[in-house]
Amino acid sequence: MSRVQLTDVTKRYDDVTAVDNMNLDLKDGEFICLVGPSGCGKSTTLETIAGLTKPTSGEILIGDREVTNLPPKDRGIAMVFQNIALFPHMDVYDNISFGLRLRDFPQDEMDERVDEAARVVRMQGMLDRMPSEMSGGQRQRVAIARAIVRDPDVFLMDEPLANLDAKLRVNMRTELQRLHKQLDTTIIYVTHNQAEAMTMSDRIAVLDKGQLQQIAPPLTCYNEPANRFVAGFIGSPSMNFADATVGDGTLDANGYSISFDTTAIDGVGTGDAVEFGIRPEDIYLKSNSAEAEDPSRTFSVTTDVLEPMGDEIFVYLKPILGASGEAADFEERQGLLMSVDPSSDISEEEDVEIVIDRARLHLFDDASGDAISHGIVADSEIGTADDGVQAD
Amino acid sequence: MSIDARNHDDAETFDGSGDGTGDEENKSRIARWADDWIQNPEKAYAVMLVFLGGVLLTTSLFPLYWLFNVSMAPPGQTDIPLLPTTIDLSVFIQVFQQVPFARFMFNSLFYAFTVTVFVLLVGSLAGYAFGRLEFRGKTPLLFSLLVLSFFPPATLFIPLFRAFNQQVPMLGLFTLPVEIYGTPGAVVTPLSAFTMPLAIFILTTFYGQIPDGLEDAARVEGTTRLGALFRVIMPLSAPGVATAGILTFITVYTEFFFSFLMTGNSAAEWAPVVDGVIAFQTQYTVRYDLQAAASLIAIVPVAILVVVAQDKIISGLTQGALKE
Repeated sequence: MSRVQLTDVTKRYDDVTAVDNMNLDLKDGEFICLVGPSGCGKSTTLETIAGLTKPTSGEILIGDREVTNLPPKDRGIAMVFQNIALFPHMDVYDNISFGLRLRDFPQDEMDERVDEAARVVRMQGMLDRMPSEMSGGQRQRVAIARAIVRDPDVFLMDEPLANLDAKLRVNMRTELQRLHKQLDTTIIYVTHNQAEAMTMSDRIAVLDKGQLQQIAPPLTCYNEPANRFVAGFIGSPSMNFADATVGDGTLDANGYSISFDTTAIDGVGTGDAVEFGIRPEDIYLKSNSAEAEDPSRTFSVTTDVLEPMGDEIFVYLKPILGASGEAADFEERQGLLMSVDPSSDISEEEDVEIVIDRARLHLFDDASGDAISHGIVADSEIGTADDGVQAD
Repeated sequence: MSIDARNHDDAETFDGSGDGTGDEENKSRIARWADDWIQNPEKAYAVMLVFLGGVLLTTSLFPLYWLFNVSMAPPGQTDIPLLPTTIDLSVFIQVFQQVPFARFMFNSLFYAFTVTVFVLLVGSLAGYAFGRLEFRGKTPLLFSLLVLSFFPPATLFIPLFRAFNQQVPMLGLFTLPVEIYGTPGAVVTPLSAFTMPLAIFILTTFYGQIPDGLEDAARVEGTTRLGALFRVIMPLSAPGVATAGILTFITVYTEFFFSFLMTGNSAAEWAPVVDGVIAFQTQYTVRYDLQAAASLIAIVPVAILVVVAQDKIISGLTQGALKE
């Protein structure tokens, strides 16, 4: 149990900066997920913490010790790898006790600890099996037992569930959470699977291009993304984005507009280019507009493709045509994606009316991508006429 | 038009019914035989296999049989019959009585063993570096190693001999502190150098195939890089290590040039097994029978090694070749 601190950690390869000025401060006993797309530097960050890779510059503290230049074995860490990495020439007992044997533990204490670790991961009675004789889930459990048997200060997990099948992955996810509750050890968990990140972690660190984008509890990342990247990365299906301009008390996006009080938000003025984002579940059919916290005026759109998921239906809406007849510039011109209740009476190629929840609309700076505001408020003076709903 | 003989018009004439002349009958038997083989090529392959195998076995085993034959012939007899007239196995004991042949064998085995251990140790470190690390100049270095291994070792004999025997300054910088000519060092060092490239190549291939995750896991669990090499990477590359080791061992054990020239002639002067065989030759007499017996005895250790390890060698060589 230890806090982990990274200060200005940078890892540069010949021509690539894998990790760029990373600052992280992880509390004792915290479960942190590092998420990001492939090549964002999350694994490299983990490797620098493990000591498998030396940072080009910066400082790493585990507990109160500076470990930047210590070899992995002296850092008090344990690691679980994506490819599981059990030693194929050793049976389960030898695999689990490998670290203990290297540290010259007495035989009886070693037996005790291995038994305990095997019990925690529910692998008792399989200690004499070889890794090749076990299923993927069992191997992963042995790998976890090997990590916990040494009672490390920090657990590092590099996509430990990525190689398991979907059902097993969900099971192991629950087991890892149970394990974390039981051991109360700091866990740093790398994944590109945001469901894992959202469900397991105390805080999520979102990385892109080697830089930390946001570190916050999962719901904060979801509801108040720090920038456009986090907004797009967290949440599935991902947020809708469109370019827009701030008008006089309106947000104009190629031919349609939403009224809002520009003065209520710092940092935007009339004429500013912004990008707005809205999650699929924050778009409502007009008939359900009461569910929206602060519904906008209605828009007429045509449905394109429906994706019934069982608990909800994803509806692709055809690009809204602007006054000039050109499609509004939604991301890759795919149109808007909304999710509706499965009981909704909706079909493909149907004209529907939708409202957008203004309170859930995110504004991002067009140039930097930084979030300007999460939610906008309607302007009380202008625009009820074209807004369609009463302002508050 | 078909070129298949069976469909050809003339094919009928070979379809002998046995009522022709003897010559024709003979011809048709060969034809039937050929016909049978064309239709069942596996029969032809089986015959060829037996024939080829027989040739190979004869060419490789006959010299050994001939050695045995020579050793059975009485001293001084130069006319060796195809079958030994008497079987007198006491020559195999005489070999050890007349000269300290056990010591000669020990010397050679000592060279082979020492060089193998040394080559596996150093070659493992080199194989680890070449197979698992990225560093500037890796390819040129590996390539220069390959080039060095093409040099005929004999070309290096004179400079090495002078360095070991006459203690000439090496590169004009230093001389060896002691004269190592006639000591095991004079054989072990050059032979280690000559057998090293092949061992490094084999080990590089094998060590390079071990997944990075296993080494990382070992290091996180508490080994150093070196510890991971010896505890995880080497055991998992066992076929490769065995192949490199056995090839080195056999090369050194059967090596003649350096081990003969860098040492004295007597067993106490670290002479190899070749000197043991030559020792039965004096100014006036040559005991061919004892020499033959000694040669046969000298083969035994390598033969045992090959029989025991042949599975490993084959799997090692093919695995290295296929997985790359």
